[in-house]
This record gives sequence, C-alpha cells and structure tokens, in this order.
Amino acid sequence: MITGGLDLGAGAIKGALLEDGQRILATASAPSRGIPVQVARQVLDALGEAANIAPDDIDYLCTTGFGRYTIPERNLQVSDFTSSARGAIFLFPKTRLVVDVGTQASRTMSVSDTGKVLKFKMNEKCAAGAGRFVERCSKYLQVPLEEMGPKALASERPKLISSVCAVLAETEIINNVAEGVPLPDILMGVFLSLAQRAHSLMRYVGIQPEVTLVGGLVRNVGMVKALHDTVGMDLNVAPEAYYAAAIGSAILGHSRLRKLAAAPQGAGG
Amino acid sequence: MSGVVAGVDIGSTTAKCVVLGEGPRILGKSLSVVGVDIVKDAERALEAALADSHLSRSDVSFITGTGYGRYKVYFGQLVVTEISCHARGAHFLFPGTRLVVDIGGQDTKAIRIDEKGEVVDFAMNDKCAAGTGRFLDVCANALGYDVGEIGPLSLQARRAVKVTSTCTVFAESEVTSYVSRGKDPKDILAGLHASIANRTLSLMQRVGVEPEITFTGGVSQNEGMVHALRRRLGAPVNVSPLSQYLGALGAALHGRERLSGGAA
Repeated sequence: MITGGLDLGAGAIKGALLEDGQRILATASAPSRGIPVQVARQVLDALGEAANIAPDDIDYLCTTGFGRYTIPERNLQVSDFTSSARGAIFLFPKTRLVVDVGTQASRTMSVSDTGKVLKFKMNEKCAAGAGRFVERCSKYLQVPLEEMGPKALASERPKLISSVCAVLAETEIINNVAEGVPLPDILMGVFLSLAQRAHSLMRYVGIQPEVTLVGGLVRNVGMVKALHDTVGMDLNVAPEAYYAAAIGSAILGHSRLRKLAAAPQGAGG
Repeated sequence: MSGVVAGVDIGSTTAKCVVLGEGPRILGKSLSVVGVDIVKDAERALEAALADSHLSRSDVSFITGTGYGRYKVYFGQLVVTEISCHARGAHFLFPGTRLVVDIGGQDTKAIRIDEKGEVVDFAMNDKCAAGTGRFLDVCANALGYDVGEIGPLSLQARRAVKVTSTCTVFAESEVTSYVSRGKDPKDILAGLHASIANRTLSLMQRVGVEPEITFTGGVSQNEGMVHALRRRLGAPVNVSPLSQYLGALGAALHGRERLSGGAA
C-alpha cells in the first residue's frame, strides 16, 4: 500500500510517499508560488519519479498545512498539528515536544507516545516569530537565505534585538549595520530573537525531552544553534524532519485506508 | 526676561518645535525629518522655529524637550513625557478634549485627560508597528504610492476590502495578494485605514471613550484616517492643522507653567 502526504505551507509545498505507512519511498518539495494545485502536482510528479512509480500507484493521498483544502485529488485532509506530531514520532519515537517555526506561523505541541497532540500553542498573528522575518532580513541585508545560517555560525558576540516587531526590528538592524556590528553577529541576533519567541511558546506548552524540530527551521543551521543555545538542551534534528508534516499525513492516510479496508463491505462511505 | 518659551518634540520620524509667546499665540514652528544624529536634529528644529518666529536664541526664556528623543534635547531646561505634552497641547487647542488619540510614526496612544488637561489614564502600543504611521508607510510602499497620497485616495473607494492581518508584514503580503487579484488600490487603501481605525478604537476603549476626542500626531494629517476614525466612532473628532505640533506645543506650555512658578 502506497500513501502520499502533501504539506501545503506558506513558504513551500512538501511531499512524501510511504510504503505501508512504515517506509519512506521519496520526499520532494517546491516553493509555494503561484497556484497551489499546480505546485502540488509538480511535487507529486517529483515524488513519483524519485520512487519510480506512476501517479495512479498512489493508493491514498492525505493533505495538510494551510492549503490542504485546495487539492481536489486528496482523499483526506488533517490539521498541521496532527500531521507534524505524527511525523515527529515516526522520526524520533521518544518525542514529547514538537517545535515548528514556519514561514508564516510558529507552533509547538506536546505529544503522547502514539503521536497524539496533547497541548499546543501557535503564533500566527505576528511576523516577528516566523520565517518571514528571516526572509525580510535576507532581503535588506542582501544575504541569500541559504547563506544566513552558515554565516551566523561565525558569530562571537551576537547582537540581540530589542524590538519585538519585525518592522521595528528592521530599523534596529539597519542601525546596527550602520554602527559597524559584524554581519555574523547581526544574523545570529536575528535567529536568537526567533528562538526566544519559540522558547516562550515551548514553555507555555511545557518543555520535556525529547524535543524534535520539524518544518522549515531544521534546514537552517543558524536557527538550530540559536534554539539549542536558548533552550539549553539537546534537540532532535534530521533532514527528513523538514518533511515531518508530509510524512505524518501519509502515515495518517495509511491508517485511514487500513480502517476502510477492514470495514465490512458497504458499511462505510 | 521675556515670556517666550519653546517646546521641542523629537519623534521617531520627525522633529517638531513650537515657539510660544505670552498668551495663546504661536510665534513660530518647524517640522523636520529625524536622522541618525538626534542631538543635531533637535538643535536644527529649534533654529528653524526661531527663524520662523524672527527671534534669536536669547529671546527664549525656557525650553522643554519631549518625545522619544527628549533626553537628547541637551539645550533644554526641562524634560516632559510626550503623553503629558499631547494632553496639554490638545487641551490648549480644544479645551473640551477628554480623550486624545495620538498616532505617530512608530506608536499609538490613547490618553484620557481632565478639564485642566492633566492625564487621567493612558494606553499605548509601542511594541509593534501595527496600527501606526509605519504600517501606512509600508502598505503605501507596497502599492507604489507616497504616504501623503493614500489618505485622499482611500476616500474615493467604492467598496473597501477587508484587511484581516494585524501584523504589518502580513498586511503587506495581504495587500500584494489583493493587487494580484485585481482589487482597486483605492478599495485596498480604504480597508487599510478601516483596519487601523479598528485597532485604534480598541486602544481608546481601554481608557474609556469620552467626548470630545482630539486626534493628534503625524497620522492625524491623513484625511483618510480622520474619516475612518470618525466613521468607526460614529462621533466627531477634533483635528487641527496644528495636530502634528501638539507634543511640541504641550512641551512649551509645560515650560511656561514651570517658568511662572509651579503647576497650573
């Protein structure tokens, strides 16, 4: 049984294919630009190619993320909390807290050993706690997004940001540049300010090991280090965790499909 | 010694200075953009207002500093918070004022005052650009307009769109997505002004909405914002061409009180 998971986020559409809800066959992603359905189909094509299967071979497709209702060929949709939690438990079975700093929102949730969400907290109202802040910094500091993390690691004295607003922080950062603060210190300051935001969400939910990072932030070494230093404990990080929500939704799709198959003929919808 | 006093209001975006003679007469004023060197900007603001009054430094008996950069007004004899100054300034122009709404470049305040112009209570948003002049700046930019143009344009809207984002950064994306969906920029602008009016109202409600209401600060010069606020309140709002100078005017008035020995 092959199930697909698609995570339609604000920054990127991520996809995963799983066999029997247990083995990852392929992962793929593309930036969320233009029409979501078209980008999603590109991701599905890339998945099929990587796993060497035809689109028809996908038995069940489960979507998640804020664009989850936009895909007509979906069989099921689940909330991003549920799917991220399930994906995190799959990758790190001892996970008790999941942290996701996305482009437009950051969330954290405590999970049971079966991947059930127990408590959660989200910030979706303000760009200061989200990846969009990093994107803006990348623009006005003229440092490509993917270079920000590696550059920040060279920081010796991170320049902390006092503003709690992404727009007001911009003025502060530009003043810091004018005053000659080294770029790595400015970049690490940006990541630390995001990490502090995430940390307060985590404290609200309750911090207990193991903590697993998922979503956009796991790809940014600067952000991972900032969060590690702020929280002061080991954090689970894996490249596949970028796809945690897609993986989780493929797993949830698989469980649903098995239930449907087990139900007596004609009993279900 | 003359009875001439000056107030210097150093905001996040602009510096304002008012020179006040004896009685209710404003002798001169100035408005300039604040740069990196705030100390110099404060000096320049005073010089410009003195030139406007045809006076020299020695003619001024007392100088008061206020605003976000008030501690950089080194040549002054007194420092007063902008909250007390806006209260005093609004009371001076509109003696019936009980609630002052000040929307500046970087913060928003609602100040409830008594019949003497003393502060009773206030609420402030200075943590975040949402609902401030900066919000309008960013959104005007996203639409390709100068911030001075957007108020009048918003008044020509036919059907205001609903702007749901609070955060300035998210509102900017929302504006861009409305543009790409072919919405009329005027309708988007009306939506933006209405959204700030909503936010301002909730700040006002924290201290109690009581007439008369006087609108001050740089954003009070935006007629679209005045209209949106009046409409949201369903009540009149005092606005004056001098609204932007009320902080500086209030500072000058505080100085005059100090000069005449003690509180009013």
